[in-house]
Amino acid sequence: MTDFAARRGFDTVSQRAQLRRRHRAERRFQFYGVAALSAAILFLALLLWTILGNAFGAFQQTMVRLPVHFAEDIIDPQGTRDIQNLGVADYGGLLKRAIRERFPEVTERRVKRKLYDIVSPGAVFELRDMVMQETETAGTGEIGIIGSTRNVWLTASDDVDQFLKGRISVETPEAHRRISDQQIAWVETLVQDGAIERHFNTRFFTGADSREPEIAGVGGAVVGSFLTLFVTLILTFPIGVAAAIHLEELAPKNRWTDLIDININNLAAVPSVVFGLLGLAVFLNFFGFPRSAPVVGGMVLALMTLPTIIIASRTSLRAVPPSIREAALGIGASRLQVIGHHVMPMALPGMFTGTIIGMAQALGETAPLLMIGMVAFIADIPGGLFEPATVLPVQIFIWADSPERAFIERTSAAILVLLVFLACMNLTAIIMRKKFELKY
Amino acid sequence: MYTELHDPRNFSLRRVANSGVYAGLKVGERPMRDSVPAGGICPGAKIIVRDIRVFYGNKQALYDVSLDVPENRVTALIGPSGCGKSTFLRSLNRMNDVVEGCRVEGHVMIDGEDVYDRNVDVVKLRARIGMVFQKPNPFPKSIYDNVAYGPRIHGIANNREHLDAIVRDCLTRVGLFEEIQDRLHDPGTSLSGGQQQRLCIARAIAVSPEVILMDEPCSALDPIATARIEELIDQLREKFTIVIVTHNLQQAARVSQLTAFFHLGRLVELDDTERMFTNPRETRTADYITGRYG
Repeated sequence: MTDFAARRGFDTVSQRAQLRRRHRAERRFQFYGVAALSAAILFLALLLWTILGNAFGAFQQTMVRLPVHFAEDIIDPQGTRDIQNLGVADYGGLLKRAIRERFPEVTERRVKRKLYDIVSPGAVFELRDMVMQETETAGTGEIGIIGSTRNVWLTASDDVDQFLKGRISVETPEAHRRISDQQIAWVETLVQDGAIERHFNTRFFTGADSREPEIAGVGGAVVGSFLTLFVTLILTFPIGVAAAIHLEELAPKNRWTDLIDININNLAAVPSVVFGLLGLAVFLNFFGFPRSAPVVGGMVLALMTLPTIIIASRTSLRAVPPSIREAALGIGASRLQVIGHHVMPMALPGMFTGTIIGMAQALGETAPLLMIGMVAFIADIPGGLFEPATVLPVQIFIWADSPERAFIERTSAAILVLLVFLACMNLTAIIMRKKFELKY
Repeated sequence: MYTELHDPRNFSLRRVANSGVYAGLKVGERPMRDSVPAGGICPGAKIIVRDIRVFYGNKQALYDVSLDVPENRVTALIGPSGCGKSTFLRSLNRMNDVVEGCRVEGHVMIDGEDVYDRNVDVVKLRARIGMVFQKPNPFPKSIYDNVAYGPRIHGIANNREHLDAIVRDCLTRVGLFEEIQDRLHDPGTSLSGGQQQRLCIARAIAVSPEVILMDEPCSALDPIATARIEELIDQLREKFTIVIVTHNLQQAARVSQLTAFFHLGRLVELDDTERMFTNPRETRTADYITGRYG
């Protein structure tokens, strides 16, 4: 028996050892893969858990029920019921009187000021809106809200809100917390009376930014992000796709196109702040576009995303099999017909994907927008492309920077909104891709 | 006399000597049908190629090839890989134009018109000289749209009925209509390989070209599908002039009337298929045909 003959069988000792070794190696390899995947999933779960845990509170807002007498002598001393006069009336005084009447035992001026702090400064506007809305809808001659006394739900201040959500501990020395023992006592009386409830926080989704966390909302930033991305999309998609088609299908391959090629790849790796600086120098200082406007933000982000979109579009153009081009050329299609009828339809799904990736990148971008003033405090929902606006990531940045306790949960909630925005965009991309996909 | 025979440029001249068809013919002139001698194989040249040289960048792929393609005949181009037969084929309808760095010198005449003239509309040219490729390449569209695409872009059909008729006619001609008439609107890629190739032929003839160039049309097909295509080629010969590149020598012998043997970018021998396969003049041809290389 030679060695060769011994090696022949399936069941020799050396064969079995070899097989065992191979199986062990395969198992080890599989284990590494599973371990890496598990780690990734774990981190993702951790991230979502913290964000969700923090964000949950922001979706509910503590409200205080107060009997308010809408006294005519404060709201409308002349009795004209003129909307303009109603708008500028002293609702602060009205509110303060209502609070004082609720706690008649408080007389001292300094203590009274503490008492007023239970209700949010935003409550003044809530009262005004109530009056104006009811007066507008009510017909003449009706007994309106003015002169009546009503139980109304008003937004509590952020300190009361945070205290009731258990985020401010009573154990902390009084000097170190934003809500005093006396205020806690008042809140507790209100709780016992059933005059405190948590309502769903609609304002968080519809409102714009505010210095007061309890009335600050993400709505302005969502609209701002939407407008900005709209500008980015209508600029980058046509320009990016046209550039990709030219470079890939029409341009001759020479030193110039090589140079352009290299530069596009380099631009894709340029830090985004640089694009912000460019936008500041060109769009704001040279062309004189308005500061903080979505149109400028969109243009800056367009500069940033263009390379990504061009590269993705070129890749998907290159992925179209040459046999299709030849087939079309072979029956006498012109160059444009080849591109328009065959190459583009096949490359489009890939272009959509690339565009959405670029847009998702743009959606999360803060740095370039800081340069063009989109970091400003904007308390209004932007109504157009040229109005001051902020965007979601910048809003998150501003809130994360604010000292108020209640902004913590709002920051997380805003991150959640950003993630949902992103998920919607990706979903659109997937739907578009499925819709336009051609099999070959 | 001897040197003349060995200059590849003169092979067509030798054909002239053999058949008497092209005697006294200048470049660009079309031979008169009347001049075909009784029993001659070639009724006339559809395409006349003179001294064509093709370069890819600095590399020369074809050296002074001269060849006449007779009308309503199948001309087979054979030779080992990389011998320039596909390059030659693609020079005929200027498909090489789209290849980066490709340069063509010399003359290609179709019906006496220079294909490489500056005023030639390549789009019209390719509608006259259709092409079928090695791998079946139907568009990712329906079977109907695949065939209808050519007539549509060239504005051949006047209306819907006319277009339907063209599609039906072309599919019938390639023997596909019977098989697929109830799924005309299925994607072309749902067909089998052989059916796809026949669909591609139907697509090519839908614009009623005069010449069909086939670049190894059966190399991706099984023997049964190949047999069907060969049969089809034989039928198509009645209406079209066909030039086919093939690696399969038996196929060349079966379908063609004229065979050209290419080697290292030169046309080595051109003759009637029968004579080429039974009695080649050149030793290189004989070696290739008997399987000594290639």
